[in-house]
Amino acid sequence: MAEEPKSSADALADTLAQWTEQWRKIAEVSVGAGEAWSNSMLPFIMTRAAEKRTGLGDELSDAIERMAQGPKLADVWDIDRKLMASFLAWTKMRQQLAAYNANASRPWMRAMERHRAAAPAGDGAPSWRDDFAAWSAIANEELIRNQRSDEFLQVQRELLQAGIEFRKTQTDLSETVSGLFGIPTQSDYDELSRQLTELRREVRALARGTSPSAPSVEQKGDRHE
Amino acid sequence: MSEENLAARYAREFADTTAKMSKAAEIFAKTKDADIDVGATPKHLVMRRDKVELYRYEPIAERKAQTPVLLAYGLIGRYTMADLQPDRSLVRSLLAEGLDLWLVDWGRPGRAERWLTMDDYVDDYIHAAVERVCRETGHERVTLLGICEGGVFTTCYAALHPDKVKNLVLTITPIDFHADSDDPAAHHGFLNVWTRSLDGADVDDLVEAFGVLPGEFMSSVFSMMTPMRSLTKYNIDLIDVVDDEAKWKNFLRMEKWLADRPHHPGEAAKQWLKDLYQENQLVNGKFVLSGRTVDLRAITAPTLNVFALDDHIIPPTCSKALGPLIGTSDYTEFPLPGGHVGLFVSSKSQGRLSKSISEWLAARD
Repeated sequence: MAEEPKSSADALADTLAQWTEQWRKIAEVSVGAGEAWSNSMLPFIMTRAAEKRTGLGDELSDAIERMAQGPKLADVWDIDRKLMASFLAWTKMRQQLAAYNANASRPWMRAMERHRAAAPAGDGAPSWRDDFAAWSAIANEELIRNQRSDEFLQVQRELLQAGIEFRKTQTDLSETVSGLFGIPTQSDYDELSRQLTELRREVRALARGTSPSAPSVEQKGDRHE
Repeated sequence: MSEENLAARYAREFADTTAKMSKAAEIFAKTKDADIDVGATPKHLVMRRDKVELYRYEPIAERKAQTPVLLAYGLIGRYTMADLQPDRSLVRSLLAEGLDLWLVDWGRPGRAERWLTMDDYVDDYIHAAVERVCRETGHERVTLLGICEGGVFTTCYAALHPDKVKNLVLTITPIDFHADSDDPAAHHGFLNVWTRSLDGADVDDLVEAFGVLPGEFMSSVFSMMTPMRSLTKYNIDLIDVVDDEAKWKNFLRMEKWLADRPHHPGEAAKQWLKDLYQENQLVNGKFVLSGRTVDLRAITAPTLNVFALDDHIIPPTCSKALGPLIGTSDYTEFPLPGGHVGLFVSSKSQGRLSKSISEWLAARD
């Protein structure tokens, strides 16, 4: 008998299971993290998702949200909380993307209706280029009108906010993992560049005070084409 | 039209399009990125300050105006738009008009430039460039030629350092960031509308998350402003020009310029989006750089304000607002047909733009 194709829920469950396994491997090689991992709720939640084979329902989303937003404990669950927060932010971003797509699809429907209504009567069918040009002009008008609507601007803003939030959780997670391996983080780099920028300003202010037209590093004669 | 004739026409159109697509694939495979040169007008490096470089263009005609002209582009996109190809280059046209042309190139800012502010760009980089140009040429003042955001930088510089600016030339420069509401064209000013739909905190969060205003992000916003053009440029427009090598290369040069969109330094982006686009501080007399309020009335240099009548990114009303706000009576407006980019790259505007600038400058040299 032929094997039944996997549903999207099954595929998601498999992905979650693989994700769990990969994170378990990462944790195994990092001193200290393995213990935190083994004490965590993450495998339980992920395994449950895989067993239920129903994808992410409200119940699971709620559980993840509680996990991500619950009280912080000093010695355990830190990386798990961050992982959950990132996962939660991702699901919220997907929800906002769905809302955005729903809004963004409306002008296409309106354009189609207008184009159909404007179609020439009789036998004289236009060439596809003429027809496409007419369709394109209508669609452009409808898309621009929609972009300027309050509703579109609102869903776009919410999608942007959700995307930024997801990015922040990714950064938080990556910095935690970097910390486990002693790798400098993005925050470290930002702090260094901030110090350098401020230092440069101070040096230049001093230099300008003593020699207003003092040139900086200069190279002459390099020809650029 | 009979069904038979209609079917024959569809078959012919399909065959024509297929043949063009086939030719497009062939030409695309033969073209190398190195063949598509932008910003190619010869120039030499005079000064480097961090990632910012000051260049002087090689003269190609007898000098007609003595005052050096310093060109400053914005931080969204690169100066190569003004020097896209030999026959459509504002840079080359101005050189042909006998101007002594200099360029301040911001390079490609990244996360390392996160903390740079507009204060740094105006009061440090431009100021250092102006001083250097003066030192090299023996002049005490320069002409500033600002493009788009670079026009805002040069406007601020002219207000804060009026003794260093002989003439101010602005092209497609926003001054009143809320004047888009006075522009009746529906496709104008989406950037203004979009920015005002955000909170200041959204901008802060964006910069906090990415460290910069990502170039790709701004590209997507610009693509939205011409939605159907963005959706059809590779599958319709490209096929249309594939028979003509000159047009095909023009297309690819524009693509190269569009692809070269550096990140906007984070703190400067906050000023650009919050202080100017959202709060309109420049016309409200509240914009502060290096601890000094930018007072547009302090601009005493003769000013030429060039704008594009169909500019969907910087609506003409946003540019025209400058006139009554500055402190010089020698103020000239020069509207040109076309759009934001077309002003610099369209064949129609080439001669008119450079000639209007050079003649205006010659009268004030």
